[in-house]
Amino acid sequence: MKISLNWVGDFVDISDKSAEEISALLSMHTAEVEGIEYSGANIAGVVVAEVLTCEQHPDADKLSVTTLNYGAEETVQVVCGAPNVRVGLKVALAPVGCVLPGDFKIKKAKLRGQLSQGMICSDSEIELSDASEGIKELPADAPIGARLIDYLELSDAILELDNKSLTHRPDLWGHYGFARELSAILKRPLKEYPSEFEWPAEASEYTLQLDDQQQTSCYQLTELSVGGGPQVSPEWMQQRLLAVGQCVVNDIVDVSNYVMLELGQPTHAFDKDKVSGKQISVRRATAEEGFVTLDETECTLMASDMVIADADKSIALAGVMGGANSEVDDTTTSILLESASFDATSVRRTALHHNLRSEASSRFEKSLDPNYTLSASQRVCQLLCEMRDDVKVDSAPVFAGSADVASERLTINVANVRTLLGIDISDQDIDQNLTALGFEVEANGDDMQVLVPSFRATKDIQSAVDLVEEVGRIAGYDKIVPQPLCAPIEVPKQLDYRRLASKLLMRLVNNHQAHETQSYSFIPDAWAKLQGLSCDDFIQIANPVNDAVSLMRQNPALSLLSQVPVNQREFPSGRLCEFTKGYAEDDENGEAIESRILAMLIWGPSDLPKSGQQSLVGQLRSVAADLTGLLNINAQYQVNPDDLQSRFGFAHPKQCLALSFARQSLGIISRVHPAVVSALGVDNSDVAVLLLDVDALVDAQAKTKFKFSSPPTFPAVKVDVALALPTGVDYAAAHNAVSAAAGKLLDQIELFDVYSGPGLKDGQHSMAFTVLLRASDRTLGDKEEQSFIQKVSKAAEQLGGNLRS
Amino acid sequence: MRERLEALCDAGLAAAAVAESVAQLAEVESSYLGRTGALTAQLKELGKLDAAERPAIGKLANEIKQQLQSSFEARRVVLKRQQLDADLASVGVDSSLPGPTVELGSVHPVMAIARELEEIFQSMGFVVWDGPELESEANNFDALNIPSDHPARESHDTIWMKSAPGEDRRCLRTHTSPVQVRALREFGAPLRVIAPGRVFRQEVQDATHEHTFHQMEGLVVGKDIGVPHMLHAMNSMLEGVFKRKLETRLRPGFFPFVEPGFELDARCPFCKDGCKVCKGSTWIELMPGGLVHPNVLTAAGVDPEVYSGFAFGLGLSRMAMLRYGIHDIRYMCSGDLRFLNQFQA
Ligand SMILES: [Zn+2]
Repeated sequence: MKISLNWVGDFVDISDKSAEEISALLSMHTAEVEGIEYSGANIAGVVVAEVLTCEQHPDADKLSVTTLNYGAEETVQVVCGAPNVRVGLKVALAPVGCVLPGDFKIKKAKLRGQLSQGMICSDSEIELSDASEGIKELPADAPIGARLIDYLELSDAILELDNKSLTHRPDLWGHYGFARELSAILKRPLKEYPSEFEWPAEASEYTLQLDDQQQTSCYQLTELSVGGGPQVSPEWMQQRLLAVGQCVVNDIVDVSNYVMLELGQPTHAFDKDKVSGKQISVRRATAEEGFVTLDETECTLMASDMVIADADKSIALAGVMGGANSEVDDTTTSILLESASFDATSVRRTALHHNLRSEASSRFEKSLDPNYTLSASQRVCQLLCEMRDDVKVDSAPVFAGSADVASERLTINVANVRTLLGIDISDQDIDQNLTALGFEVEANGDDMQVLVPSFRATKDIQSAVDLVEEVGRIAGYDKIVPQPLCAPIEVPKQLDYRRLASKLLMRLVNNHQAHETQSYSFIPDAWAKLQGLSCDDFIQIANPVNDAVSLMRQNPALSLLSQVPVNQREFPSGRLCEFTKGYAEDDENGEAIESRILAMLIWGPSDLPKSGQQSLVGQLRSVAADLTGLLNINAQYQVNPDDLQSRFGFAHPKQCLALSFARQSLGIISRVHPAVVSALGVDNSDVAVLLLDVDALVDAQAKTKFKFSSPPTFPAVKVDVALALPTGVDYAAAHNAVSAAAGKLLDQIELFDVYSGPGLKDGQHSMAFTVLLRASDRTLGDKEEQSFIQKVSKAAEQLGGNLRS
Repeated sequence: MRERLEALCDAGLAAAAVAESVAQLAEVESSYLGRTGALTAQLKELGKLDAAERPAIGKLANEIKQQLQSSFEARRVVLKRQQLDADLASVGVDSSLPGPTVELGSVHPVMAIARELEEIFQSMGFVVWDGPELESEANNFDALNIPSDHPARESHDTIWMKSAPGEDRRCLRTHTSPVQVRALREFGAPLRVIAPGRVFRQEVQDATHEHTFHQMEGLVVGKDIGVPHMLHAMNSMLEGVFKRKLETRLRPGFFPFVEPGFELDARCPFCKDGCKVCKGSTWIELMPGGLVHPNVLTAAGVDPEVYSGFAFGLGLSRMAMLRYGIHDIRYMCSGDLRFLNQFQA
């Protein structure tokens, strides 16, 4: 919202303060000022001048050659094209060197051979109004040589306030509210709002019908005759309206806007002759009712919209906008002036639904004081009658509803106010601050009884703490001295899963080249089918940011996968990780389950081996082994478990592993199904993912006991064995067989070669292990080594193969 | 025999003196002292001498052996040194060549800020707590003193889950503030707690707007707690983050769950007299906060007649953008490695 400091100055004396000072005061005590504009500054060089001579241009029919006195020692010659230039006229002159709006610098020039040392300005050239017919004519008594901005009092500063910081303050949607704030901050008197008006004795012939007082607390209608129809508003009023960004229409509309910008209360004028019957009702719209607003928007109303209606039609959308069917126009000679208090929520919903936010609706949305309705209509009538002799108020206003506001008496404890604010403020100052803001204060021992004024009682002042804020902000928050908190010395409780997840995540980043990322919690509907699921298997968003993205993900695998395409061009392989959540419905109690998941996704060229250390699954298995090892958890791996694909629809049927500890699932490692990978736009790459259930890891870690063992006393025997086995026998089986052969003597076992080719039978592959055998009570001899090799040989035969060499 | 030994000794010493490399010297050494060396051969013949002659000649032979050994050793030291000097003098290697590439991981800038702040607050005795992202309307709005007709509840601000008619509504939490209520219900008063986490709003994405971002809620409840305590705690926290004292100020601000409500500004840490970050004002709007509204305490089961407290909300995504000069919030959830790999743990 914009406020003019000249206008505020009508009600409180701020003439000695600069715009910067006022802006800082308001920002620190009331609401955020976002900027200052200086109006008039862009025409500061324009001066009042008198036309001394005016001759026809010798070579141009439409131009005149004039000489002007503008208070300087010498007169100037100016060529002017306006038809209304004439001797004796007082004009606005932009002399050479002056800069006009639009960065237009006035220079000495020759126009068709005649010297021109300046420009005589029209209204539009100096931005005084939109339209301009000829040059601006100033009154005969305008002082020659005076700056135009001084003479017309155009010099003003306009403050732009952050509307968001005003939403809770219905009293700050007009200039008078800011005057009240400044009067309290500066401790200066506030002039009473000028709304005295003597109503005529005649009763109105109109009756009102208020259907729902919840929706409209009061409604008031006044009949006026405007003999000469709408006219152009006086210049001072136009200037003020334009200065704060309000367009100028005609005096009837302008005065209504002027009062709205001054007090905050919107009013609306209907053309009385376009209104049928003598009863006006405020009622709910008929569903599907068509309505055309005065800005020509055609809307189809909802049954919840409130309308103003005459005998046979709706004539306004209550609090939002009038109808085209009852609009004031050039032929209007009598009007019905509406001043009402509409329900904030109802106005907001109607304005929002029909996309019709107006100056009026944005004010009604703030819960205006119903008492403003009377002040506003009085001020409108007062201004119109002052401005014009042919305006007459025909009857006393007709009124329905009630302007009563439930104003509570609140009690504050002054000692408590001082403690909470930490400002050493006297009782007297507390009283003074509140009183200046319109509260009525009555001391009562250590307490104060405070009566809230109606313009603050509709919304923001509801309880004693609201008054603490009023006292504090007027006193000034800069008076608060920071104070350390005294608190018990305690070890703060911690969330185990957070600590564990952080530890693992840093391990992924520092040891496994993973890049921590963030991915969205919602996923496209299309991804349900990709995973063999339907949308109903997911928690669904009613109003998604994007219509096609309405599912809450069960796990982050595909969210991470969707971040691969942006990287593929520059990174043929890469690793992303995230500690995040998956969401699922708990059918038992209808609450959502948010599972905490540590995820890592890696991608690489599609010609990587599909198994073993180089493979993506192999790489992730190393990562998983490192992480579980870090937590001392001895995780078990199950290869290609039957149910994995039904739980994780993106999993590869032949390249996945389930991790578990003590029969509890810890997570999975899986290559992502190639069909899913390509559906998400990832080309020529393989992708695999590791998902760890962080809560399960916390449980598993709690069950794990660390057991120290002394360093061995006796040396180990190192034995290499190579087994030729049918290709159907995998590493896990071979590993188990060799481990079993070593029995209690097994110290370490490691695969060092996998081979197939010459030297082996068709359908065979070879796996070679290095095995360390050790006993805790003796040095092992040849006998034990030979016995181990024999056992391996037997085991190899049982698996359908043999021991090699 | 004596003459032969002495001649051998002289020849050996002479040969050592002219040996020009360690390898050449090794050959010389082996030709005298090796298994088939000249001196070794002489020593083998000692047994053939008369018993009377043997001790004297034997002694001499040993002396000669030791003399040769030490002379070879001395010559070896000289030759090694010569070789080293020659090596050092030669142009040699390109030491500017890089070693093997070490691939680094990276941390997410928002998470980095979050973890740093968690550490600072924990060191000040704060509990780090958490709440669900799918939150009930009651916790996200009602308990926080947000009126039932408040515009923030509308679907153009809040992301709602589908619900059956009559069912309680559930939304993606729009702020971390519900954790205030959850933590108070869990621990009661007094309490110091922070709650970092992901929050969601209906936003059209652009450089400064995201529907998914991160906040960190803070709450302190106790007896006789007022604004000065909040100001002190905020100043301490800022000192922890920026490693120096920053001037701060409070301005009025409005949030339904605090009263009085504030905006806390800090002196711009990036400039002395105005820059792009502070838009020339030398102040940056850092975080909203205020004294906890009595209605919030009541909703959390804490008696507002006995306890008071303060709450604040840090925009973690905003802090990260400020700290690192990130100009477009959309990078945060992009997964773009060229963005991510700039931030080291
Ligand atoms: Zn700055």
